[in-house]
Amino acid sequence: MVNIEDLKSEARRVLKGGKVKYIIGYERASETWKANPVFLKNPEDADKLVWDPTCFHNLVRFVVDEKRRKAKEKQPDTRPVGIVAKGCDSRAIIVLLQEKFIERMDVYIIGVSCESTGVIDERKLAKKTAGKTVQKVEFGEKQNYIVTTEDGTMDIPAAEIMADRCLECIANIPVVSDHLLGDKTKRAVARPFQSVEKLESLSQEDKWKFWTDQMKKCIRCYACRSACPMCYCDECVVDTINFAVTADTTAEEKAQRIKWLEKSPIDSENIFYHLVRAIHLAGRCIDCGECERACPVNIPLRMLNKKMEKEAKELFGYDVGFDADQPALISCFRDGDPEDFIR
Amino acid sequence: MTEEFEPRIIAFLCKWCSSAGSDLAGVSRMEYPPNVTPIQVMCSGSVSPLYIFSAFSRGADGVLVSGCHPGDCHYIKGNFYARRKLAMVKKLLEHVGLDPERFQMSWVSAAEGQKYTQIIKDFVNELKPLGPQMKLRRNP
Repeated sequence: MVNIEDLKSEARRVLKGGKVKYIIGYERASETWKANPVFLKNPEDADKLVWDPTCFHNLVRFVVDEKRRKAKEKQPDTRPVGIVAKGCDSRAIIVLLQEKFIERMDVYIIGVSCESTGVIDERKLAKKTAGKTVQKVEFGEKQNYIVTTEDGTMDIPAAEIMADRCLECIANIPVVSDHLLGDKTKRAVARPFQSVEKLESLSQEDKWKFWTDQMKKCIRCYACRSACPMCYCDECVVDTINFAVTADTTAEEKAQRIKWLEKSPIDSENIFYHLVRAIHLAGRCIDCGECERACPVNIPLRMLNKKMEKEAKELFGYDVGFDADQPALISCFRDGDPEDFIR
Repeated sequence: MTEEFEPRIIAFLCKWCSSAGSDLAGVSRMEYPPNVTPIQVMCSGSVSPLYIFSAFSRGADGVLVSGCHPGDCHYIKGNFYARRKLAMVKKLLEHVGLDPERFQMSWVSAAEGQKYTQIIKDFVNELKPLGPQMKLRRNP
């Protein structure tokens, strides 16, 4: 069990020493049961930190934002940023390191172990509590959660309300960290791709029907893109203005720029966008499930990314987000890569 | 009388091998179906997945990416990258329900005009029973 006092004292220690610029962690937002991301600048704020099953956000996104902010500053503060990272978050950091987007000394990682459980899924919990107001969710002793509602406490087995990604998690302890809290026993998952397998067993027509039904819902709010720690491209294919317009750019040049897909939420364009996003995240997505959680219309986006992760594993033996020195999936090759599909 | 469906294939051919191979097929007067629209690219490794999605979105019934044989790439390793990248694209397209036959890859060298015509013939024959590709096609 992660001792919350240890977490607080570690945060206090690094903030006091001026070792980090600030710490990104989780706090209990006023009057809600959920954790919220918080930026701590002063040692005395460390008491705000919490660690419970509602800490589902992937805070690495803020590290990406920090890099952007730093690039704009004239005299940037080069101290590292402290971050409270779960297993999945630490894998996101590994991928960013692998791509040389950030340096190792840019982050001070306080790793927290999810141990034998993980974080909860809000939607599943809402179903379970059947409309009762939740006040608190805590880790139980053995693979369960203690949920406090207005009517008293409920003891719910973890598997029932745990987020889908946590059921298939292969990194319950952070892969990289400067200070690791909690139990360090690795949890074995029997079938890390079970959710995709169900979809794979469908026929091509059923798959297509499933995806068109889902993509119809997409309103192209790009919440998936905004929440994703890996979606850090300066120019995204969906943005209409993705080339530099200067005073010298002629009308003809503007007219002839390549417009790959329309911005309007039409079915065909929605699936195009999600395909592009999936292929761009192939071998990079670490399955933190933020896209799916952020999606206001509940599109199972994880199913696309998880499939890519599965293929990377099966075709190329590539594990995403475990080794920062390994080259990225599609920037390397082996002589023996499968080519049975090539004539 | 109903007209037989003629599939439309977009072929991304690498400049150094496959494109020369298709040229050879042409100058040797080998016959092959006229359903293919070749697009010359500098290397199969330069084919972005976006090109493939875009071709399907604009109404292609099939997409072919063809490059040099492994080890023969003009840019030493471009086709090795292509092989990895496009394997993922193929899996992704299958995953969303597109017929797997619609996206093909081949290695055609500059001397293999015969092989090129055979690939196109086979491809067209495979696409004919599938009918027009309407799944990824842009809605009007």
